[in-house]
Amino acid sequence: MAELTALAKALVELDEEQVMELVKQKLDAGEPAMNIIKECNEGMAGIGKRFEDGVYFLSELIFSAEILQNVMAELEPHLKESDQKAESRGIVVLGTVKGDIHDIGKNIVATLLTGAGFEVVDLGVDVPTEAFVEKVKETGAKVLGMSALLSFTYPEMKTVIDALKDAGIRDKVTVIIGGAPCNEQVREFVGADYYAIDAVTGVNISKQVYG
Amino acid sequence: MEDKKKLFEERLKRYQGAIALAPVDRVPIAAGANYFAETYSGLTKQQFVYDSSKWMEADKKFVEDFPEVDALRSGRIWGPLHDIVGYNMYKLPGRDLPPDVQFQFIEGERMKADEYDLLISNPGQFLLERVLPRVFNELKEPGSMRAHVAFLKAGMAQMYLAGAMKQRALHLQNELGMPQPMVGVMLAPFDMLADGLRGLKGIMTDIHRRPDKVLEACDAIIPDMVNAALATADPLRRYPIFMPLHRGCHPFLSPKQFDTFYWPSLKKAMLMLIDAGYTIRAFLEGDWSPNWHHMRELPKGKVLCDIDGPGDIFKAKADFGDCQCIAGGLSDSLLILGTPDEIRERVRKLCEVVGRDGGFIMNGGCCIPYDAKPENYRAMIDATLEYGRYSDRTDFEIQCDPNPPAGWKPPKAGVITPWEVKKAELGHIYGDEELIKGPWEMFERMAYNWLWAWTW
Repeated sequence: MAELTALAKALVELDEEQVMELVKQKLDAGEPAMNIIKECNEGMAGIGKRFEDGVYFLSELIFSAEILQNVMAELEPHLKESDQKAESRGIVVLGTVKGDIHDIGKNIVATLLTGAGFEVVDLGVDVPTEAFVEKVKETGAKVLGMSALLSFTYPEMKTVIDALKDAGIRDKVTVIIGGAPCNEQVREFVGADYYAIDAVTGVNISKQVYG
Repeated sequence: MEDKKKLFEERLKRYQGAIALAPVDRVPIAAGANYFAETYSGLTKQQFVYDSSKWMEADKKFVEDFPEVDALRSGRIWGPLHDIVGYNMYKLPGRDLPPDVQFQFIEGERMKADEYDLLISNPGQFLLERVLPRVFNELKEPGSMRAHVAFLKAGMAQMYLAGAMKQRALHLQNELGMPQPMVGVMLAPFDMLADGLRGLKGIMTDIHRRPDKVLEACDAIIPDMVNAALATADPLRRYPIFMPLHRGCHPFLSPKQFDTFYWPSLKKAMLMLIDAGYTIRAFLEGDWSPNWHHMRELPKGKVLCDIDGPGDIFKAKADFGDCQCIAGGLSDSLLILGTPDEIRERVRKLCEVVGRDGGFIMNGGCCIPYDAKPENYRAMIDATLEYGRYSDRTDFEIQCDPNPPAGWKPPKAGVITPWEVKKAELGHIYGDEELIKGPWEMFERMAYNWLWAWTW
């Protein structure tokens, strides 16, 4: 990876003031919003790396997502419609399965995926089976991530995967599960392709799938 | 009745003895929360949450079918009380969820980032004026008729619930010979902020943006939290006080953040409970392995630690098992998806390694999940009886004492209207002041403690 820009570096260091200051300077200087987002994404990738290396923990991931959200709010008025879809690495559909309303883990995954250049279609929490299937079909996503915090969701995750089979698209999509009650035993039961032990693992699997 | 008393004492001795790291006859079987017992009763989750008259029936059925169990506690949420105040931090089965989906906590921010000073300087006022109107839908218009009646009903319902819980505890003890695994509850001060007040996102950004305020608040709320925990604990000090430790796990906080923000106030609070003559049952949620060595800093044999599924219980035994009792070892997925043979094999290994030399209690990772297969639960019990035997008797002397240790002083009690204020308003007192002051202060303290029940 090339040397990080000052903005990306400030984000990696979680220097909130410096990040906001640099963003304002760049906007004032007429820099396109998309370039600024690109720099921020490099910063987010750096944060993911630090998490993998055991330097950063969830508090840093959550705080960086907060900073990024403030940056995006600043950039919003400067984004053109044509900017939105630019240079997506691929589509990932995400959601917390039916009955479960927890979303902290899923949101961290979404932030890191976005930072890594993916287009994230986040279906939210308590997502019905059909919604997963329809969205995968509609978007042609090659990765589906299902999140859960409660153990009663094991059969729900299996139901989604069975429905993907019934819809004839199971072999077109890689299914990743994650969340506290998940492990290899659960992955095998529900028939998912991968169990991601943490958010960064989920992002890395998505990168593999999209090459 | 006599044999129930004997049974009760045998079970309690075994449970208390294991916690104290003393020799016992076999590995106790004692989940903290036994959600499986609720499912096993045949009641829907809505019935369990709403109909307190069914609790004793459910306990009876469970204990009759699983008499080898050493302690039982199920069901802690009572829907009618939630409805009376319009408590909006939980989704309840049958009300906001299908009748057979478990209750769930709703993440959110109930204290604003700029309110730390209010919390620190006057927690009671802060809870009453800022937090409760946000978490009680019935308090949307404070001072209205509806709000007044909500408070009135809440006090009545709380007393009703206390009566039902007491009756249930006596039924468990006298009719079923069954102790409880824990009574009373306290959070870690950091979790009090993280769960119900600032929310996870709030607290995780606060430790970066305003670390000093977080630390100051954690310390400031300790006395109130300890008092509220003692008020709900077993008056006879037989059972541990429950401490569900949510956000101390890896990887929420780095070990350095844990040492800075989580542990110091938690340790102080735990020591205050231990000083008051209690043991603690701490649920180490998630993976605590980078942090659980701290349990060595607490008095030996006073803190039973539940190891959650993601934590490595064998490592826990090696890291601090000589200092504190450990419970757990069967993950949710094993109890729900596994087979009786797999359970047997796991229990054998647990008894041989973690149970060696005592200090071990058989349990799931914190709880027995709702959807555990009955045949797996049965296999867990049978295998524990087979592999978890140490001797044919427990000589441990039962710990049961209504009095705190000599010289113990409770933390300063929080009140809204101190006696001095009331006394000044009364002007001259004609008779015995103590007769008036005693009840006044008792109910002030009860009301004040109650305020702390609504922040997680």
